[in-house]
Amino acid sequence: MVDARSNINGSGGSVCACPEEPPRRKMIAVETLTIDSPMTGSTPYEIYFKVFRDIIRSMHSSSSLQEVLNVVVVKSAAVLDAKGALLRIFNKDTEQFDVRAACGLGENYLSKGPVTTEKILPNPMELHQVKIITDLWHAPRVEYPQEAWDEGIRMMVDVPLAVRNQILGLIRIYLDHHREFSDDELDFMLTIAEQCACIIERVQLMENQQENFHHLATQMDKMSSLGRLAAGIAHEINNPLTGILLYSSNMSKKVSPEGGLKEGLDIIIKETQRCKIIIQGLLDFARDTEPQRMSANINHVVESALGIVENEFHLRHVDIGLTLAKDMVNTLLDENQIEQVLINLLLNALHAVAECGKVFVKTSVDQAAGTIRVEVVDNGCGIAKADQKKIFEPFFSARSNGTGLGLAISYGIIQNHDGDIQVFSSLGKGTRLVIVFPIRTNNATEKVFA
Amino acid sequence: MKPLNVLVIDDEKVICDACWLVLSEKGHHVTHRTTGIAGLLEIERNGAYDLILLDMKLPDIDGSQVLKLIEEQSTKLSVIVMTGYSTLSNALEAMKLGAADYLPKPFTEDDLLATIEKLFPDS
Repeated sequence: MVDARSNINGSGGSVCACPEEPPRRKMIAVETLTIDSPMTGSTPYEIYFKVFRDIIRSMHSSSSLQEVLNVVVVKSAAVLDAKGALLRIFNKDTEQFDVRAACGLGENYLSKGPVTTEKILPNPMELHQVKIITDLWHAPRVEYPQEAWDEGIRMMVDVPLAVRNQILGLIRIYLDHHREFSDDELDFMLTIAEQCACIIERVQLMENQQENFHHLATQMDKMSSLGRLAAGIAHEINNPLTGILLYSSNMSKKVSPEGGLKEGLDIIIKETQRCKIIIQGLLDFARDTEPQRMSANINHVVESALGIVENEFHLRHVDIGLTLAKDMVNTLLDENQIEQVLINLLLNALHAVAECGKVFVKTSVDQAAGTIRVEVVDNGCGIAKADQKKIFEPFFSARSNGTGLGLAISYGIIQNHDGDIQVFSSLGKGTRLVIVFPIRTNNATEKVFA
Repeated sequence: MKPLNVLVIDDEKVICDACWLVLSEKGHHVTHRTTGIAGLLEIERNGAYDLILLDMKLPDIDGSQVLKLIEEQSTKLSVIVMTGYSTLSNALEAMKLGAADYLPKPFTEDDLLATIEKLFPDS
């Protein structure tokens, strides 16, 4: 495992020594752990075996990730006869690495904030390599060299926690003196890290599933409340609308066709019928209407939706860019429903951009994945990260005059087409909404590119 | 044109009045009742009705119950069901119970007259 080790002497790379800087995020409380006593009288292999056994046991017997991480830092420090060890895990919300377990280090050192991927892994090629840091003062990976020095640290060993091509975290082992490491020692550390990374990934997957489940349960609860509400509204509103429609259609036939009265009555009839359609839409949403799928080209649906909103864009001097995939294939979809979704996304984009903003629509085909994509991109105000999860919930609206139903209805429609809507947004920069549909032929389950 | 005897059963007086206006102008005789029970009693008292316009959501008993009881009393009576819950399954359910046709609310004068004309071409 010679290629798994490399020394960092700090040549090149900037050093960010900012001891006064307050922690950027509140740190997760880290339990003070004591390192196991060195296992004297045992052969290195006996030591490795015992440490590995203890870690594996904790992974299998413990229901808490924290307990496993505590065992990993304590054993890692012990096996290298180190002063201490610290384990950081990537936090996807802050996109930084938080301290999750530590041993043998003072509070002053631990009080430092989370660190970025650039600090943890300046070179992505080193994802699966152990790094030995001998020059604390000039190593780009060391963010707080002064604090480390004050702590009595003279050398560090970084062991990445990586699964496939993704870094999940890092174990850093601190030594109070310089020493050489055998290949076996480094190989052993990598093995521990691989096991640890696997369990972190497993726990994170479980946490994600739980989070998704809770989100879905809340969503369903809201949908069911909305369904009851919609049915109530439909009945209560449709009754007075019937009166309006019957009287106005009756009067419209009695007045002179030339007069303004006839025109006014016809407007009342038309607008009342529009109310009927809106209520029907609300009921359809609440009922989760099955799409009436027909073979269609999504490019045509996009063009039709753009034709409907074109005037609105023109009035607000907002440009629409359009790129349609030339190799677009037909798929089974409910053109009316998808057009409704696209109109919705386009109008949302229009509201998000200021006058003279830009909106782009792009369609594409991923033949390998058997999917079609439609992207609606704007350079508008963007959506705050905390709001991004909520935008598909019924009644959530960032606009004061929004009903909060548009995206919820759109989400339901896309789900009924076995598709997905993803949102990518940065505040002040804009939003990209991506709809992905599976390509279906006349046989509903058969994929074109299967 | 043959005038029809029509009974409107709907708890919304404005709908009863509007139906009365539209249908009486076409020469039909229109009576209305605002509850299911009052409607059933009226049918029992005066069996000469040709057509019932029945709302499915009534304050006392459910429209489908009224429909069942009407069908039990007389199979000759034509019932057009009116409802704010316009779904295909609602319509099918009403038809299964014996309704002659289905009119989703809100509807125009033309919708109403066309539905009646389908059942009574001579009206």
